[in-house]
Amino acid sequence: MNLNKAHFLLFYLTMTAAIASGLAIFSSASNITILFRSAVSGLFVPLLLALVTSFLLDPLVSSLEKRRIPRVRAIFIMFFIVTALLVFTGSWLIPYGQNMWNSLLTDFPRYNTQLIAYLREAQVSWQARLPFLEHYDLTGTVRTAAEQTLSFVLVETPKSALKLGSLMILLPIFTFFFLRDGTTIMRGIVALAPNRYFEMAHDLSFLVNRQMAHFIRGRIIEAIIIGSVVTAGLSVTDIRYAPLLGIFAGITNLIPYIGPLMGMIPGILIAAVDLGIGAQFWWIVILYILIAQVILDNFILIPVLISRVANLHPLLVILAIVMGGKLYGVIGMIIGVPIVSAFKIAFIEVRHYRRAFSLPDTSGDRRS
Amino acid sequence: MNTLWNNIFRSSTEEESLAGFLAKVPVFNELEKRDLSYLETLIHVRNYTAQETVFEQSDPGSGMYIIRTGHVVIFTRDSHELEEELAILGPGDFFGETTLASPAPRTVSARTTEGTELLGLFRSDLLATATKHPDIASRILFGLTKMISERLQTATLEIRGLQRKLTEQEH
Repeated sequence: MNLNKAHFLLFYLTMTAAIASGLAIFSSASNITILFRSAVSGLFVPLLLALVTSFLLDPLVSSLEKRRIPRVRAIFIMFFIVTALLVFTGSWLIPYGQNMWNSLLTDFPRYNTQLIAYLREAQVSWQARLPFLEHYDLTGTVRTAAEQTLSFVLVETPKSALKLGSLMILLPIFTFFFLRDGTTIMRGIVALAPNRYFEMAHDLSFLVNRQMAHFIRGRIIEAIIIGSVVTAGLSVTDIRYAPLLGIFAGITNLIPYIGPLMGMIPGILIAAVDLGIGAQFWWIVILYILIAQVILDNFILIPVLISRVANLHPLLVILAIVMGGKLYGVIGMIIGVPIVSAFKIAFIEVRHYRRAFSLPDTSGDRRS
Repeated sequence: MNTLWNNIFRSSTEEESLAGFLAKVPVFNELEKRDLSYLETLIHVRNYTAQETVFEQSDPGSGMYIIRTGHVVIFTRDSHELEEELAILGPGDFFGETTLASPAPRTVSARTTEGTELLGLFRSDLLATATKHPDIASRILFGLTKMISERLQTATLEIRGLQRKLTEQEH
């Protein structure tokens, strides 16, 4: 009887302890995830940018290394060159860009009113033809959206300048370590694979890494070329803000299918408002669509720089943009597509690898 | 000298270090001392328990293994899954070197017989070396080519001998 009681007590105590520790672990685990999330919240973008930068700089560092310069010194030399270039172009561009940005902000309402006027005209004409659309106020929607965008830009510019400051510190540090220890880090991760799968994991990590570097480098170079071609083409005309429009076209060009369209809207709008519909307007339209997109991008750059492998289905692109936008806003919309492409590249490399080795059965062969 | 001192000195001698061990492997004959320390960063050190599969026949092959300690048995399987032992390799021996230069499925299987330390050198690392340090990569590849061509020559001679025997039997 006594023994039974003791057992019961022991059981009771054990259960209480188990439940209490379970609860403690659960609450601390959720606390830890919250802590973890707030700790890493600002790090995603700098890490990703550092990764991209290190992919871009890696061939340059390697080419210095080939001339028997130690890697760390090669990275420092590369950093020095890049910093010098940035300071040089920055000191020349920033006052110019600042003026341009300010005048664009004052001009923005003017372009906006003009856009709304165009839209109202269009709305009147289609409402005459399709009367059931009478209550749909496209003009109003666009107007509120544009006003929101402007106030968002005005509020966010100083904030993003702050973010830019922390980025300027974090980005070089992260990039330095990615460049210096990237291979060691990858080796460390791959070394965790069990012996039986180690060889395959090692091979795949190399292939995926190579494809990824190729893809990222190609995309960035493509954006730079498109941006400069658009800038050059616009500079020929009397349009204002040619460099800003070129930069915008280059950045939006990172998003397939939808990006180029987004990139040409402000340019064509400004051209229509400032220059009127004339020869220069049509030249700008031709520049955006025919020269930059069709000839340069589709016929020259994409076949040369980017392997067909990374082509995404339009549906996937839209999903990536929407989901990226939900998670990280505008930056998410830009980086969403490359991240999905990265997954696709990894997936395709794995499939390709498996196919390459499913050769005819070799069990009949012998080696002595 | 008593054993305590002996041990301390021995662990620091060159033959015991990874680079010293690699210098004795025929593939790396051409390498200089400075290259060997670079090769050390290229090599993957893997520890295997007894009876552990290193690779199976028709696995994708992407590199060679060098045995540092322990033994590895090389075998093939026939159509009835029966194993035919081809060789038992010991410390200093290497295997799988034919897939180092060109990707191919493994033609044999390899399994450890005891706790074994293997050094892996893989094609992808060699490719990365070829762009960064072409001189080192060419010395490794030269050693590899030399060894494979020697082996090819012996194989050719052997085939010729067998052919002669075959024609003699037919007559």
